[in-house]
Amino acid sequence: MREGSLLDVRELSVRFAMQRQSLLGARPVLQAVRGVSFSLRPGRTLGLVGESGSGKTTTAMAAIRLTPAFSGSAMFDGVDLLSLDPEAMRQRRRHLQVIFQDPYSSLNPRERVGAIVREPLELMMPEMPKPARKERVRELFGLVGLRPDQMALFPHQFSGGQRQRVSIARAVATNPRLIVCDEPVSALDVAIQAQILNLLRRLQDDYGLSYLFISHDLGVVQFICDDVAVMYLGQIVEFADRPSLFSRPRHPYTAALLAAAPSLTRRKSAGYVREGMVRGDPPSPLSIPPGCAFASRCPRAQPKCREERPQLVHDASGSVACHYPNACDHRASLVGASSFCRNTSDGAGKSMHLRSVKWR
Amino acid sequence: MTEPLLSIRDLKVEFSTRNGRVTALDGIDLDLMPGETLGIVGESGCGKSITALATMGLIPDPPGRIAGGRILFDGEDITHADARRLRSLRGADISMIFQEPMTSLNPVFTAGDQIAEAIILHQQLGRAEANRKAVELLRTVGIPEPERRARSFPHELSGGMRQRVMIAMAISCRPRVLIADEPTTALDVTVQAQIFDLMRDIQKEFGVAIMLITHDMGAIAEMADRVAVMYAGRIVEKGSADAILDNPLHPYTRGLIDCIPVLGKAAGEQGRMPPLAEIPGVVPPLHLLGQGCAFADRCPLAFDRCRIETPILDGRSHGVACFATEMEAV
Repeated sequence: MREGSLLDVRELSVRFAMQRQSLLGARPVLQAVRGVSFSLRPGRTLGLVGESGSGKTTTAMAAIRLTPAFSGSAMFDGVDLLSLDPEAMRQRRRHLQVIFQDPYSSLNPRERVGAIVREPLELMMPEMPKPARKERVRELFGLVGLRPDQMALFPHQFSGGQRQRVSIARAVATNPRLIVCDEPVSALDVAIQAQILNLLRRLQDDYGLSYLFISHDLGVVQFICDDVAVMYLGQIVEFADRPSLFSRPRHPYTAALLAAAPSLTRRKSAGYVREGMVRGDPPSPLSIPPGCAFASRCPRAQPKCREERPQLVHDASGSVACHYPNACDHRASLVGASSFCRNTSDGAGKSMHLRSVKWR
Repeated sequence: MTEPLLSIRDLKVEFSTRNGRVTALDGIDLDLMPGETLGIVGESGCGKSITALATMGLIPDPPGRIAGGRILFDGEDITHADARRLRSLRGADISMIFQEPMTSLNPVFTAGDQIAEAIILHQQLGRAEANRKAVELLRTVGIPEPERRARSFPHELSGGMRQRVMIAMAISCRPRVLIADEPTTALDVTVQAQIFDLMRDIQKEFGVAIMLITHDMGAIAEMADRVAVMYAGRIVEKGSADAILDNPLHPYTRGLIDCIPVLGKAAGEQGRMPPLAEIPGVVPPLHLLGQGCAFADRCPLAFDRCRIETPILDGRSHGVACFATEMEAV
């Protein structure tokens, strides 16, 4: 186990057996997560990013044993969650909570929101006296920016942002140490997104929470995460701290994600044309190619990439799994940086300076 | 100066609801020029989609109705056009792509059939010819192996491919106006980028005018020539994309821009990012709109007048409907 980490996941794999194609045929195996390792330090936020189907959610859910893992370990506070007996696991659940993406389907429509927030206290802290529980719920409502008189309402009486606040109150009720945030702001309007992101960070500061933060929005990830793991087809292809990843992406997939993310400075008026774009869709996790999984879409793929699977190589500035990664100061790394300042591709003469946006 | 292709004047749309009659659109003025992209931006419930549906003649009546104003397409008043005229307009002259490609495609017909249907309807072509054209269109929108994909059902396609099929269908009759209602909200960023690139290519090639409805200022920057910012059924600011993004005048527009966690801002800096700017509260429900500016309750600059009078969009090329901004300008 890594020194001082709260959650240390080693070689985690998740497989799902699919339906037989024929009566006597073997069940095809879908490899959703393939040997993923990462560690999360207390009070920090680790981002898991990637496209749909890259295994972000499955990885996080398997790490806290909400999805059965095929192999691997997940050390939480010095104990392997994946080999605990069920009762001991249940005892630990109060330290592991989840905030889901969809604030509509993740709250019971028939229950008053006060009861929804109280439920984890009843289940996991039965020793707490009833009046104290009630007081705690009231306190939680204040904490997430809801009024105590709203406790008697039902979920449908709230907006999406307010429902997400209820979810957050429910997640922090038992004073957990780790919260898995599964795309917590993806379903919200931008203005509400900012409110929720600020709230999550304030709670982290006040209670020393650690977040495993799943998102496909790199802007959000850059705002809230300290470290970022980029996933592709069930594996981590790059791991780095936030400043390194966003200023010097080394895996071509990371660079492509950054090039694809919307930004205010890429203007149609300035004739912006995207470069280094990935084409098509990722391969099926049912038939994973022998070489690098990204080779079929990679703008820089070589024959070696299609034959030999690159291993995650660690060094001072992070880890990357690529035969031909961008060097730390390589020009291609500017693909990411260009999202901010200017397009670097077309030489000095006709380089287009995109006007910098004024920040108030 | 060229005439606008689509011109909306003082459009008012009302809905009868349990809470009485509410005004979903209140005096919308918009012009879409040939070959340009007009971005319409705002939060959910601001009337963006209603504007699009009204243009297509798709407001469900009842409960909704167009209570005033005019919609002109190429000089022709189509506000109260009959069903027959609307049918010939839709698809052929004005077409639309929706947010969720899975629910807007028919699950029991193949992609090719659905594209061919529009072609047969509007272009009087035979089935075989239409099918051939459908395959051609799938190739145009960048679908690999178009012959095979034309025989695929929607559930066999990925989200990005479904949206490409929608676009193929929308451009099948060479419309002059394409309305795109949050076309990439349900898609991954990489796929979103591909769809945006495709829409720009199509615009370049066919000269189609695009009305892009979005809540994402990043999409506006990348796609739009001009922008209208909507709030609670009114346009609160409009102007060129550069003017809106670099020099937003309305406090709501400023809020929308500032609250996005922008990629690249201080990318390489150590330490934490500063908190995001917030717009407090939410869009008010339509039946609770009182007098005065609808944004006043969330506005940092609101003063007495804002709660009594409703500001009117001024007629300048970069126009804004805000008393506080007016005061600043003086």
